[in-house]
Amino acid sequence: MIEFRGVNKWFGALHVLKDITLSVEPREVVVVCGPSGSGKSTLIRCINGLETIKDGDLVVDGQRLGDRATNMTELRTEIGFVFQAFNLYPHKTALENVTLAPIHVRKIARAEAEASGREMLAKVGLADKFNAYPSELSGGQQQRVAIARCLCMRPKIMLFDEPTSALDPEMISEVLDVMVGVAEERMTMMVVTHEMGFARKVAQRVVFMDAGAVVETGTPEEFFSDPKTDRSRAFLSKILRH
Amino acid sequence: MLENFSFRTIVEYLPLFGQGFAATLWLSIVSFAGALAVGIILCAMNLQRSRLLQLPAKIYIDAIRATPLLAQLYFLYFGLPRLGVVLPELFVGILALALNSGAYIAEIIRAGILSISRGQVEAGIASGMTYSQRMRLVILPQAIRVTIPPLLGQAIVLVKDSALLSLISVAELTRAGQLLASDRFMPAEGFVTTAACYLVLYYGLKSLAAFSARWLGVRPIGSRT
Repeated sequence: MIEFRGVNKWFGALHVLKDITLSVEPREVVVVCGPSGSGKSTLIRCINGLETIKDGDLVVDGQRLGDRATNMTELRTEIGFVFQAFNLYPHKTALENVTLAPIHVRKIARAEAEASGREMLAKVGLADKFNAYPSELSGGQQQRVAIARCLCMRPKIMLFDEPTSALDPEMISEVLDVMVGVAEERMTMMVVTHEMGFARKVAQRVVFMDAGAVVETGTPEEFFSDPKTDRSRAFLSKILRH
Repeated sequence: MLENFSFRTIVEYLPLFGQGFAATLWLSIVSFAGALAVGIILCAMNLQRSRLLQLPAKIYIDAIRATPLLAQLYFLYFGLPRLGVVLPELFVGILALALNSGAYIAEIIRAGILSISRGQVEAGIASGMTYSQRMRLVILPQAIRVTIPPLLGQAIVLVKDSALLSLISVAELTRAGQLLASDRFMPAEGFVTTAACYLVLYYGLKSLAAFSARWLGVRPIGSRT
């Protein structure tokens, strides 16, 4: 579903992605972790073209990014992207947030889009917040609206860029619960997160990145109980200490 | 001092000031509409990646902002006829105001658009919106809210700048004051009345801006993180 082959990327002189080769199968859930600045966010931002790659191949849903034949705008409708900072539209209500792209991009009739928008918001536990503006919602609620906004496009792939990093601790689990629900419906997911409980529960694989390279991949069980490299051991000892 | 101030003469000249007021009002409205059009076009050019579109807009904006409106007005009024383009003075006046204010409005709109966070743009991109959809649905509705106060400021500047049109003998408010001043040698009466009329226009504009802000449903935007 997603395939990186020898992907490199630089920000100026900084080599942010180093020879990445990685593939994600349909319906697979892959968690990406690693220290800050290791290139995790850049990696998943490349998948929907928020960042462009310098060399190598990146094939998403059968289409090679950067090819003339690949229509990025169309491809993006198949890829949901959840941001760390939510990025809800502040001038739109929760329901308008989740129906905007279905109506204008997918060209679904308004009544139909609103019906499925309400259904999706109810599913993420926000049935009483249809008409609330983002500024009236808590961080956890905003992020759940953001996830519903992606799901309303009926995507084939969902990408999460540190979805709980901007949240107060008590709101993290309500967002993770929604994400577990998405994973259980067999969505293809790539999740940048340090939430190890989430990784153990739903991920088939954990990818550990450091300094722009994929250092280690394994099942959550292998990775957490028996990390193979010094760098992953050092990383895990830091995040699991508390 | 006040015994020398002739309210009677002001009352006598009120019809003239009425006409001047109406003229300033409508020519300001027409000029501002023109300026908005000029500003939107310039701003759109300025935001393009293509140098070919960006550069002329940048040069135009700089040229207008660097030179006095009076010089621009005189160029259009005295200069153009010598180059073979003869236009009626009222048209020249409106043209000068629209071309001048347009440059400032272009910068105001650009600032409004650039004030919208990158995250909003990315949210639009990620959901498969095209450039024009992002502009129309995400960026502009938010940018308009932040541009209303500076646009109001520009509208006020335009109304006051229109006083310069008196110099090319357009019969507007300041011209009415000049007439009273020169006919009866009463500059105090003439220009106080003129000033009072501008004050009325100013408060009118202010309440219009407040009304349009409510109409657009401007609400404090700010997401908690």
